[in-house]
Formats: sequence, C-alpha cells, structure tokens
Amino acid sequence: MSAVLEVSGLSKVYGDVTALDRVSLSVEGGSLFGLLGPNGSGKTTMIKVLTGQIRPTGGSARVLGLDAEREGLRVRERVGIIPEQESPPSFLTSMEYLEFVGAVRQIPDIRERADEWFHLLEFGDKRDVLCKDLSRGTRQKLMFAQAFIHEPALALIDEPLINLDPLMQDVVKEFLADYVKSGKTVFLSTHILEVAEEICSSFAVLHNGKLLYSGPIADLAATGAHLPGFFLSLVRKGSHA
Amino acid sequence: MPELFMRMMKEEWRMHSTIFGQVSFALFPFMIFGISFMGSFLLPYLRPALPIGDLALAVHAMFLVLGAMVGEFGLMGNEMMNRRFGQASLLAYSARSLPLSGRFIFVNFVLKDTVYYFFLWVLPFGAGYVAATPFSGASFSSALLLLLTLALAFMWGLCTVFLLSSVYVRSRAACGVLVTVGGLLFLASFLLKGPALALLFPPYMLYCGFSWKMLLSTCAQLAAIYALSLLLFSAEETGTTKVHGDLFAPFLARFGFLQQSPLVAKDLVDMYRSGIGIGQAIFSFAIPLVLIWVFLSLAGPFLPLHGPIMLFSMITGVVGSTIYTWVTEFDSFGPYACLPISVSTLIQSKMTTCALLQVLPGAFIAIMAVLSGEAENLLPAVVLCVSFSFYAAGVMAYLCGLSPSVLVYDVKVLFTYLVLDGVVFAIFSAVSLANPLYAISSLLLLLPGWGFVKAAMRRWDAVDPGGY
Ligand SMILES: Nc1ncnc2c1ncn2[C@@H]1O[C@H](COP(=O)(O)OP(=O)(O)OP(=O)(O)O)[C@@H](O)[C@H]1O
Ligand SMILES: [Mg+2]
Repeated sequence: MSAVLEVSGLSKVYGDVTALDRVSLSVEGGSLFGLLGPNGSGKTTMIKVLTGQIRPTGGSARVLGLDAEREGLRVRERVGIIPEQESPPSFLTSMEYLEFVGAVRQIPDIRERADEWFHLLEFGDKRDVLCKDLSRGTRQKLMFAQAFIHEPALALIDEPLINLDPLMQDVVKEFLADYVKSGKTVFLSTHILEVAEEICSSFAVLHNGKLLYSGPIADLAATGAHLPGFFLSLVRKGSHA
Repeated sequence: MPELFMRMMKEEWRMHSTIFGQVSFALFPFMIFGISFMGSFLLPYLRPALPIGDLALAVHAMFLVLGAMVGEFGLMGNEMMNRRFGQASLLAYSARSLPLSGRFIFVNFVLKDTVYYFFLWVLPFGAGYVAATPFSGASFSSALLLLLTLALAFMWGLCTVFLLSSVYVRSRAACGVLVTVGGLLFLASFLLKGPALALLFPPYMLYCGFSWKMLLSTCAQLAAIYALSLLLFSAEETGTTKVHGDLFAPFLARFGFLQQSPLVAKDLVDMYRSGIGIGQAIFSFAIPLVLIWVFLSLAGPFLPLHGPIMLFSMITGVVGSTIYTWVTEFDSFGPYACLPISVSTLIQSKMTTCALLQVLPGAFIAIMAVLSGEAENLLPAVVLCVSFSFYAAGVMAYLCGLSPSVLVYDVKVLFTYLVLDGVVFAIFSAVSLANPLYAISSLLLLLPGWGFVKAAMRRWDAVDPGGY
C-alpha cells in the first residue's frame, strides 16, 4: 500500500522552544504506527500539526494526499483524532456529545452507531450522564468513540489508553488490531512501550523534537531486541549527544 | 493564610496578563485613572444639567454592579471553569487536593477578589477623581469620601453575590426565590418611592452625610453579610440529577435550518444546563439595564422628548452585544479542534447564537417601551436596539475573535472598539432624537456589522487558535 502520511523536514517552534526539529517520516496505509518519545519530545505537537490544528514553522506534511497546513479542515473531515487532554463538553451527556459529533460530521445513523460504541465500551447507564459527572476513564472512552465513529481511513490518537482499566485496555487494543486489518491506518502516540511492541507494526522515536529512529517492529524483533530496552538506550544516547 | 492568599493573587494576575498581554493589562488601572481624571473635568459642565446627587448615585450604582459582576465569578465560577476547561483548574477549586478546608480556601478567594479588584478598578477610579480635585473644584475631603464609599459599594455588590452563591450551592431553588423576591421588592419600592429609595443604600447614604457611626454600622453590615456567606458556605455540590434526557436532538431539529446548527444547538444546551445563561441574563443584563433605566429616567427632564427610550434602546443594544461574550468566553477552542471545525466556523456559529439570543434585548426594550408610555415607538426602538447590538457584536468579533474579554483589558483594542461604536452611537442618537421613526434607518448597520463578521472570520483563521 502507498503512504497515507508523508512528513518531510517538519519543524514547529513555539517562542524559544523547538518542539519539532526537521522531522521526516512516512506511514504506510494499513499499518498501526507507534510514535514514542519522552515527555515533551514533540508527540502531541506532531499530531496537532498533522491534523492542521496548528501551523508548522517549516517543512510540509501530506495526510491522505492533502496538505496538512493548507487543507487542515479537509484533513480533519477525513481523519479521526483523540486529543491529548481535551474532555468532551461538560454539560452534554455522552449520547448528546456523540450526536453532536455526528451532526458535525454528517453521519446519518449516528444514534445506532453511538449505541454500538456504548455497548463495546461498556457504558451501561452512563450514556445519559453529563460528561462533567463521568469518571476520567469514561470520558477517555467517549473520546475514543468520537474518534472512530465515522470509521476514518486514518486515526491519530494521543495516549488513548490513559486512565483505562486493564480490561478496557484489552478491548481497545483488540479493536485497534482489527481496525488496521481492514486496511485502515492508526497513528498512535504512547508511553506504554509494551503495548506498542504488542500491537504496532512500525514505530518512530522522537527526542527533543528530533527523530531518532523510524522502522518496522519486525526489524527490531529480528535482532532479538525488545522495544523497552531499545527505546531506553536510544533516548539515553540521544540525551548525551 | 497569607501564603495561599498571595498565590491566588498571583494566579489572578498571571491569568489576566497571559490572556491580555502583560503590558496592555498593566496599563489597565492607569486607563481607569485617566478616564476618571478626565471625567472630573466634565463635572462643572454636567452640574447645571444634572443634579450632582444623581451623578453620585449613578457612580455608586455602577460600582455596586461591578462588585456583583466580579462576585458572579464566585457564583458561576465552577460552572464557567467546567465549561471552559472541562475540569475546574483554579486554586480555588482544588480544595480536595490540598490539605486545606474548603471554607478556608473560600475565605482566601473572597479576600483575594476584594483586594485584587479594589486595586484594579476602585482605587484607580477614586484616585483619578482625587487627583483632579485641584482643577475640578470638588473638595479634597469629599473626593476621599467618595473613594471610601465607592469601595464600600463595590464590596456590597461583591458580598451580596457571595452570599447568593453560598445559598446557590446549597439550594438552587432558595437562591432563585431570594433573587426574585429581592428584585420584586426593589421594583415595588422603586415604583412607590422613586429614586429616594437609593438613600437606603448604606454606602450612598454615607456619601450623602458622613458620620463615624454610620461608617461603623455600614462596615458591620458588610461584615455580617460576609460572615453569613461563609457560614452557609459548603464545598459540596448538592446532588443534582445525574441522568438527563436528550436535549440536543430536539434543539438540533428546531434549528436545523441554520448553517451551523450543531454548534448552535450545543451552545444552547450548554448554556441552559450550566446555568450560565440564567446567571448572565440576571447579572450582566437585567440588573445593569434596570439601573441604567433608573438613571436615564432621572435625566429624563433634561433630554428631548422620546430621548430616554431611544438612548436606552441603544444602550440595551450595547449590552445585548455582550451576549457574544457570554457565548464565547466560557467555551474554549480545544474540544472543537479534533473535529472539522475551524475558528471561522466557530465565530460564525457564536454570532448566530448571539443573534438568536437577541430576542432577550429585543423583548426587554419592547416591554420598557410599553411601560414607559412609548408604545408608539416600540418598533423603531426594537430595530435600533437589535441593529446596534449586531453591529457592536460584529466589531467585537473582529477585534477580539473568540476571546472578547480582551476587550475589557487591552487598552488599544478597547480604544478602537469605543471609537467604532462611539461614532455610530453619536450618529444614531442624533438621528433618533430628531425623530424616533428615523431610527428604523439603523437597519443599515446590518451591512457594516456583517462586513465585520466576515473580516473577523478571515482574520482569526489566519492565526493559531490561542490558549491551547
Ligand atoms: N502551546 C505551546 N506553547 C509553547 N510551548 C509548547 C506548547 N505546546 C507544547 N510546547 C512545548 O513543546 C515541546 C513538545 O511538547 P509536546 O506536548 O508535543 O510533547 P509530548 O511529546 O506530547 O509530551 P508528553 O509525552 O508529555 O505528552 C515541549 O517542550 C512543550 O513544553
Ligand atoms: Mg503529549
């Protein structure tokens, strides 16, 4: 399959912080791509730039064949996003929030789809509770549903497993693995290396805004290395450099 | 105590100065000082036209409202933070993560508000007046007295709202009853007694005839209200119903004809459930307008025939345009950023919501026109009010995008806003005072208003959305 995501020389500078420093990478369609890196390495910034939420300072990114900077709105029509820390609107219920997303994305059978998601993510009676009264993990589940409800060709998800209990993490991991089998692509930013190793087909490591590594998980496995050890030594080396 | 207090002061300062820019914000008290300093020079000219007592009353009323509006943040703060940030994130709402009691934090919060806004608004205003005494002919001691009584009026507004907020947390119904009964009592006694009623307002009473005894009793009353609100304070939210029926779908269906119907429906549900709609309608709309009306009717004899209602409809228009601030200020762009929604779409939808809510000022002006025996001018008054409101909201959207509170604190933006609105205000006062029917021509304002909205959409799409 061809690349759904192509990034070349991408930079983002906030004032005196260089959050992304000339990053180039490409992601094949149908893959589950893991973006790894320590706190503040630029993962969230990367997702925001790729989805046209903020403008890059240099370089370019093509997402599903669209220019992320100039056609951000069209990119966001076609992809699904789980933002890093946003919560759903406090005074809507879970159901109302998904109806809102459905109205914005013009999904006709939104209520049926929402019900399927509530079932999969075990919402029970939480579907009619205001988002501000939901637990942190339940809100995260809602953000997950929101990102996938229109079955996007590409989903960019920032720490989707955070605050989920182990059972729910399993449900989500299984969903993601199935999702990419149908030819769709997932771009996942995470700190949980074991999960990345388990489900990702390729990964990249960012450190201080620079790309340290990018390649298939299989290459790593072939050398007998494990992701956590590989990651730690890579980042430590990066820090000394 | 001092430590938490200082931290809260710093937090408030940082919040304002990051939103508005350090320099612009630091200039704010100086601007207030300047306005009141210059304003003092107008006094000798105003005096023949207006009884000085009425002017003093208006200024006291203004500070009372100011206090109430600052305090409103205490009342609505939690809901606002909930809407804007998803979760409460100010120190004041972090009671559970700190080894401090909720009441202790509330005391600090109240003190912080009192002191902070005293320095931001009350002191600069009073100081401007005091500094102008050598030139304005007012006596120095009466200027000092004014500073004192304005501060008291401000605190009066503040602590009344804190009291209401304490009651509100315990029982929304009780709070509603208090506000309604209080409002009715005020109206009834105003109709019976007229402006003399103001003499019952202790800070104003003190200004009219100072005595130490009265000062003491005023302070004691203030302290009592503060104490009562602390006593009633409870950090726990009372259990509101947890399960809610679907409001979004019906709203969406009703407003389906609008271009941005999902966003409009979301905002309406949001404002309705959070109570921000009601809170704002009372504190930022009804109370200030009723006070302005009282003042305008005092000035009635000095204005041309039909003057009060036409001026009032323009003022209501200005206040009506601030509905744009209610719908934007308590919302942040963050949660929309993951959807195919651009800043311009959001501005457009907020303007639409604001336009829908113009039924509020429209109806208000219609009622006032009928009540004041100006029923024959009802149509021009409503048209003038709503057109002016739309124009002013458009200007606001253009100047401030999605964070209109910049307006209040950024001197440059405020100046531009005042000029753009002031010119139009002057033109249409002249037009409508000449003949109320001419006010219908204010429909023309819809054109530049629309132009500003379009320009706002272009302008604010071109920058990264702020605060996120
Ligand atoms: N709006 C902003 N203004 C200024 N600096 C920012 C802004 N957003 C991010 N940064 C900085 O950019 C760098 C990268 O931040 P980013 O949020 O992309 O990191 P991250 O890899 O997602 O970290 P984490 O793992 O903690 O989520 C950090 O140094 C951060 O402080
Ligand atoms: Mg991040």
